[in-house]
Amino acid sequence: MPEISYPKEVIRDLIEGKLPWNQLKSIISGYKDNDRFDKYVAVLQEKVPWQERILLPLTDELYIVQKGKERIVKCSCGYEFGDYRENWKLKALIHVRDTEAELDEIYPYPSKPEPGYCEMREHYCPGCGIQLEVDTVPFGYPAVFDFLPDLDTFYRDWLRRPLDTKLEFTDLSYELTRRWSAEGRESIKKTDTKARRRKKV
Amino acid sequence: MEIKPVKRGIGPAGKVLKDMLEEKERLFQQTGYYYGLKELRLAKEDPLRLEVMASRLLAAAIAGRETTRMISASPIVRDVAELAVAIYTPEGDCILQSTGIIIHIPLMGQVIEWMIRQNYEETEGINDGDSFTCNDNHIAGMHPADIYDITPVFWREQLVGWVGTVIMEPEQGALAPGCMPSGATERFVEGLRFSADKTAVNDQHLKSFERRISLGCRMPDLLLLDRKGALAANIKVREEIKKIIDEFGMLHYIEGVRELIEMERRAQLERVKRRTVPGKFHSPSTYEIYLTRTIAPPHHSRDTITLVPWDFYIKPDGSYYLDFDGAGPWGWHSSNTSPSALMGAACLMLSPTISYTGKSNQGTLLTVDMNTPYDTFVNPSSPNVASGMFFSWSIMGGAIWMGQQSRAFFSRGFVEEFRSPTPMGMGTSGVSALAGKSHWGMDFGFQMMEPPGFFGSGAFAIRDGVLSDLIFIPDSDMGNSEVWELVVPLLWMGRKFVPDTCGWGKYRSGRSIMGTYMVYKTDLLSLDTMSAGHCEKIGCNSGVFGGYPGQGGFGKILHNTNAMELIAQRKPLAHGEGYPGVGDLEQNIKGELIIPMGNAYVKTVAKHGDFIQCYMAGGASGVGDPIKRDTALVKEDLDSGVVTIDRCRRIYCVDATFNEQAEEWVIDEEKTVKLREQKRKERLAKGIPAKEWWHTRRDDIIAGKLPPMLKEMYNGSLAKGIRWPGEFRTFWQLPQDFTFKEG
Repeated sequence: MPEISYPKEVIRDLIEGKLPWNQLKSIISGYKDNDRFDKYVAVLQEKVPWQERILLPLTDELYIVQKGKERIVKCSCGYEFGDYRENWKLKALIHVRDTEAELDEIYPYPSKPEPGYCEMREHYCPGCGIQLEVDTVPFGYPAVFDFLPDLDTFYRDWLRRPLDTKLEFTDLSYELTRRWSAEGRESIKKTDTKARRRKKV
Repeated sequence: MEIKPVKRGIGPAGKVLKDMLEEKERLFQQTGYYYGLKELRLAKEDPLRLEVMASRLLAAAIAGRETTRMISASPIVRDVAELAVAIYTPEGDCILQSTGIIIHIPLMGQVIEWMIRQNYEETEGINDGDSFTCNDNHIAGMHPADIYDITPVFWREQLVGWVGTVIMEPEQGALAPGCMPSGATERFVEGLRFSADKTAVNDQHLKSFERRISLGCRMPDLLLLDRKGALAANIKVREEIKKIIDEFGMLHYIEGVRELIEMERRAQLERVKRRTVPGKFHSPSTYEIYLTRTIAPPHHSRDTITLVPWDFYIKPDGSYYLDFDGAGPWGWHSSNTSPSALMGAACLMLSPTISYTGKSNQGTLLTVDMNTPYDTFVNPSSPNVASGMFFSWSIMGGAIWMGQQSRAFFSRGFVEEFRSPTPMGMGTSGVSALAGKSHWGMDFGFQMMEPPGFFGSGAFAIRDGVLSDLIFIPDSDMGNSEVWELVVPLLWMGRKFVPDTCGWGKYRSGRSIMGTYMVYKTDLLSLDTMSAGHCEKIGCNSGVFGGYPGQGGFGKILHNTNAMELIAQRKPLAHGEGYPGVGDLEQNIKGELIIPMGNAYVKTVAKHGDFIQCYMAGGASGVGDPIKRDTALVKEDLDSGVVTIDRCRRIYCVDATFNEQAEEWVIDEEKTVKLREQKRKERLAKGIPAKEWWHTRRDDIIAGKLPPMLKEMYNGSLAKGIRWPGEFRTFWQLPQDFTFKEG
């Protein structure tokens, strides 16, 4: 298999959707470049306005970054969601489209989710108001943890350069809801104010 | 001492097929390598020779598929290409596959394996020139309409492999409309069933088989000619395999095909390690069934929603694991699924997305493992349940799985391989099955397969989605309307995009199409909705990275119309939807409007002059926050009518005015910046902290503020699951024996 590598500028244009179709098509159909991840992260690192090292891009706005000894989820605006093993949606702002009028705005035709049965959850970044994910789930379904990466295996076994510290590959979201339950409803207002006051980095 | 005669089988070197199957399984279990092949001798000594052999086999499979298309009379085969051909080892493992409905590739292999385990070698007998036919989903399969024709390949009196061809039939003699009726609850009303029956000898179909088809369905010519096409394909491929063995030698062939499978297994693991990121992904999915709206036996006539939550793991060794723990109970309807169908879905998902080198085979699937709990929606315990829609959830869920895999591509930097899910969730359903009297005055039943070409794909991470991308037929086509008009009593009035239906996002989903038809020269036309992927109350799909899931499908029927008068007066009819909320159908033609709901018969007999509209879309999602969409792309959408200015302002937050003279939209960039800034502020004001949402929803759950169908759905999963119920209860901090009180 030939060793393929693309210039960083090509990777930048690829990520930004700026490559002409003939060039994009040849990348889709061709052998894959083994140095993609490093160039990808390098390009993204140049785009974000903060300094923490990107360990893994999660979405087009969210990244797992190394902050001191912690690995946290961070928005491109700088808002920090906390440990990557907690579902970041539990630190986001949520709006549920649960009225006919709000659903009609998205779906003007006869086929649309039914309030009461379905929750269309919009997750916003508390720092910049960007819509990060939209989940359409049965009413009452737990917050969907889309992707919990096994970062240590990835860096140690797949990239062959282990991270400095090792963290257990486990979903910590349940710890959070346990705390919320213990704290009770009374703590909501305080948290709300705190979240909204938090400044962008 | 009595000397037992040496048991001589039909396999290579006189081996018994059952022994070969057991040996293969034992060696894989013991070594982890296919057939114990730690060393790939042929690949090492002469890789080009092996490559040439593989290419010849692949070419044979593709040529076989094209042969079938030339012989078949069915537009589903000729135009839409709902067929595939594959070559198998003596044990039933796929070596190479054609393009087409590849979801069936491993399933035809499962039929071969079943025949071996049933000891066909001794009971039925397997001879050169035989063929076997199967659409019995208790053995393997997606639904009875997909019929497998399987032919053994003998070389010098030794069985060296098999060729299988799958074709979807528009009608196989089931309850009206004849293919996958919404009212079927038991498989005994699903038409002709072939349980791996021997149907050809000496390359000739048995007369009893042909008579069974002639007497067993409404349109036997189509079904019979498809069998002729499949048999011709199988013979053509078989003869090519024999030539290849003549050229390469028997030992090289047998060892070579095993090496091809082992090489692909290793390649797949390596591809995963190079293109993805290991970890755990989660998605819930629901399936809605409304049997009270159709014709079902009273003891099965229930409406249910079933939950199927699943975890997808990309494991450290590069293998995939799907855990369906928490899947709700199976029910007496045709839309459960099965482990067999799910493995078909795995083939469908992997071949076009990561194993697309032309060498996808059983080796690809050896890297996939699943937990499909017995006696649940994904693994029904009764063999008698209807299976007309076994494929439905497996491809709907499979598409969402494809979306999960895409997240891993994205994280690794292979953004060009990312595509958001394109499930076949139908929303309220379009009419797609017809039965009654045709325009030729004959009895007929027909499953329309034009819609596969209608579906727009989900958006990609770096570009908009595309048209004609229904996941289960990767090379789908809507076919020629003139050909469809020969078969069904409909006149094609138009195929048009419908405005404001895309999955909104920075990149939007591909546009889907609405078909508009006028019922023609019949007064006896029964309509059934396509009871696949029903998501009437709960969306079938989530958005990606802030994009929205797209509009689900829907249909309209206008009955007792004045269309004939309008035609005589040369007045406008309807050729598409028109402007949202002001449909051309409703505006231009008088009649009784029916919106078909759920998987059900339409309770009206349609007749000449009635109109039908069918918008087929699967809720394909957009990618990225819509307010990030490039205004140049928004202008293109406005100019081409994909989006109306009303929703453009509200969702993309882009303002524009129409220049009458230039006949194009002009973006107001300044206003757009303000609209987008305002939208962010609105979100920050109306969004509540997740903690607040959690407390509110938890209170709702404890108070039982859910519709009864949802309570039943959750209770079903809480009762069936082992791991998932604990996660549900822990997330909401509920007692570990929590269930919803019914009612």
